Amino acid sequence: MKKSILMSVLIVMAMLGTIQSGFAAETNYSMRVDGLACPFCAYGIEKKFKKMEGISNINIDLDKGVVSVDAKEGITLKEDNMKKLFNDSGFTFCSMKKTEK
Amino acid sequence: MFLKKLKSIGNLLLVGLVSSPVLAHDPIFGQGPHVLFQEGVEIATEFHSSKKGRELENELGLEVNYGVTGDWAIGLELPYAIKAETGTVSSGLGDSAISTKYRFWRKDSKSLQESAAISLKIISATGDETKSPALGSGTTDNIVGLSYGYESRRWYRWASVRHRQNGTSSAGLKRGNRTLLDFVAGIRPTLTSYSEPDMVYLLELNGELGDRATLNGNTVTNSGGDEWFVSPGFMWTIKNFAIRGGVQLPLSSNLNGVQSKSDYRAKLSFEWHL
Repeated sequence: MKKSILMSVLIVMAMLGTIQSGFAAETNYSMRVDGLACPFCAYGIEKKFKKMEGISNINIDLDKGVVSVDAKEGITLKEDNMKKLFNDSGFTFCSMKKTEK
Repeated sequence: MFLKKLKSIGNLLLVGLVSSPVLAHDPIFGQGPHVLFQEGVEIATEFHSSKKGRELENELGLEVNYGVTGDWAIGLELPYAIKAETGTVSSGLGDSAISTKYRFWRKDSKSLQESAAISLKIISATGDETKSPALGSGTTDNIVGLSYGYESRRWYRWASVRHRQNGTSSAGLKRGNRTLLDFVAGIRPTLTSYSEPDMVYLLELNGELGDRATLNGNTVTNSGGDEWFVSPGFMWTIKNFAIRGGVQLPLSSNLNGVQSKSDYRAKLSFEWHL
């Protein structure tokens, strides 16, 4: 009896843990962008990402030519949209790598 | 009477020193191909001072630019001018301008951007040309330009050519047209990260080749000619805020007739990207 109660509690805890981690799941998008030479000019990229809902941790690495952002669960960044976003900011989108956090 | 008229012509000839629109990482006195990101707003205040013989001209300008697309910007300039000449001072709204720049070519590679743009600026006669010294030219002038820029993490270089076509005032005075040539190099000594303060040092070579003015079709002897300047400057930025400044010092002067040579020109601007 005690064993089955303990098992039930463990199963419920495991399920809760799964649900909780599911809610907190974020995806990191790391994008290769060409033309990133000066920080002042790159501000337009930050501004455009800040307008998007569910996007956080915007990092711009000028030396590596990489822009990285975190997207909340349910938010998916598409390559076509990113091409437009970077072109509107005055830069060229090259590629994108997606990592689940 | 004749001397007074001659003096007022001299004053009008001084009006309309070419100021290039403030746009991000562009040269201070020359022009580059920089535009703004789409829907970006740039607000800049610029202080401009120049001395030529006995004439001192100070101008405080407000400039607003808007990014229509990632390659096309439009702008508006509203200058407040304070001019002094041999003890006489006048102040008020100077000649305001609208401008546009289109970046027609851009080649991006890793941490490097090369681009070229065409520009047009129309300067309207909003300054009072009857004041002494004159605050405006009394004419509508336009400037067309072509610029090239190379921007890497360490090095910058720009080249531009602009042509200023001046209008004719109601008194029949047409200031000579001018061609402006700019060659600029820049260096970022320390490669800072995106969120750190960033400094770029510039050295410009600016040439101004001017035609003679005409008054009712007659050539004004003491007008026009060529001047070359060497201009050290800087751009300090942090994220979306920039301070840019420089001094233009005469290198050589070949002015027609009897004219005062330029002593110096200085510029300081504060710029926000919103």
